[in-house]
Amino acid sequence: MVARTAVRRSKHTQDKPEVIVRQLFRKSQIPNPKFQIPKLGFGIWVLGLGIFLIALPLSAQAPQGRGGGGAGREGQGSLGTIGALGQEVKRPPVNNSPSPRLPDGTVSLDGLWVGGGPVNDIAQGLPKGETLPLLPAAIKLMEFRAAHETDDPHLWCMPMGVPRSTPYPFRFVQDITGSGASPHLFIIHEGNIHSFRQIFMDGRKHPAELDPTWFGHSIGHWENKDTLVIDTVGFNDKFWFDRKGTPHSEQLHTIERWTRPNMGTLVNTVTIEDPTYYAKPFTVSFAARLQAPGDEIMEYICQENNQYGQAGGHENPFFKK
Amino acid sequence: MRTRYGILVAIFSLLGSGAAFAHHSFTTEYDGSKTFNIKGTVSKVEWTNPHARFYVDTTDEKGNMVTWNMELASPSALARNGWTSRTLKVGDQVTVTGYAAKVAAYRGDARSVITADGRSLFGGASDDGRPDGGQTQ
Repeated sequence: MVARTAVRRSKHTQDKPEVIVRQLFRKSQIPNPKFQIPKLGFGIWVLGLGIFLIALPLSAQAPQGRGGGGAGREGQGSLGTIGALGQEVKRPPVNNSPSPRLPDGTVSLDGLWVGGGPVNDIAQGLPKGETLPLLPAAIKLMEFRAAHETDDPHLWCMPMGVPRSTPYPFRFVQDITGSGASPHLFIIHEGNIHSFRQIFMDGRKHPAELDPTWFGHSIGHWENKDTLVIDTVGFNDKFWFDRKGTPHSEQLHTIERWTRPNMGTLVNTVTIEDPTYYAKPFTVSFAARLQAPGDEIMEYICQENNQYGQAGGHENPFFKK
Repeated sequence: MRTRYGILVAIFSLLGSGAAFAHHSFTTEYDGSKTFNIKGTVSKVEWTNPHARFYVDTTDEKGNMVTWNMELASPSALARNGWTSRTLKVGDQVTVTGYAAKVAAYRGDARSVITADGRSLFGGASDDGRPDGGQTQ
């Protein structure tokens, strides 16, 4: 946030070396670089930065040795580390201090989180040595999807469903009364796509008949003020659990157990039942990591300008005839 | 024990998710072995989701004017990396390095964008699954 604030203060400062130095230090998520780099004179930093900036264009162009020098030159091979600002991200260690509590003693899940669910392969969340109890119908559908990986609805700006996660932050809105855990709880997702989940905490049951939806119908309760349990049914069968296309049907039933073992970590342990595709229920665990202080949810309107498919020549599966 | 188990799960899950940070599948759209290096003039900037884009007017090897459609990370990922919607402006002279599209001509996944004032900005997101994806320490 330091870099952004510094840039916003005056657009005329945007090109000055001290701003760029702050941008560099922002990658390491140090709250205030002014107090982290005190002993070297500013002149030294400017000199170092000058050498760095001179070297950057050279290092960035080096991989194109075969055809560089003019406009529109193409080459072969991976670029590797290109010396661009922001390519390397240094993350601080996980904050291991105790989890925060609401006034009534319930653990607070507040914070901006990334992770907490599968992206590439839901089987990565299984206990060591276990495999998914896939029925033949699931194996057959996964083989089809492996040959049609660009049909993943997530690529076409559709929601990720449950329990899939995205690279973008989410936030629990847990305490809307200010006094403790509330009868309503929301999970707000920034990315792909801007969406929310509503969890009823007032003791109601699932309706007998539900219209299928991307996020289903969720009811929740707390166990010992430490574990948030979310029980969800009423899903549609459209989303994929992961990029591999691990499937589910409208019979999907998820039971999520969210805990916060320390300040910097959420753990989501999910039991999944779906007799259409799985021989028995299975349980996976995924962790989410607390984002740097000052980061906030940003806008992400995926549908505005989704050109996915054009570079690779793929057709939107929702428009296929 | 439960807490310790949770922490272990957290650590290993984070380690295991290293190459997961891409919204859209790189390998289905771009060729990870086909690089480009383009110098030209920014003709349009789209600060939009799911990916920010900018367009670069340049000349091809025969001297014909062509416009490249350059893909960046999402606006929020770029903003967390120090970009703003004003980082690139129409008329700016830029040098862009990245990976070319698998099928379409003059489309690229921009990795390094060297701006008019000499900064080399990373056009992707950290750990975004590209061959040179952002490295996290």
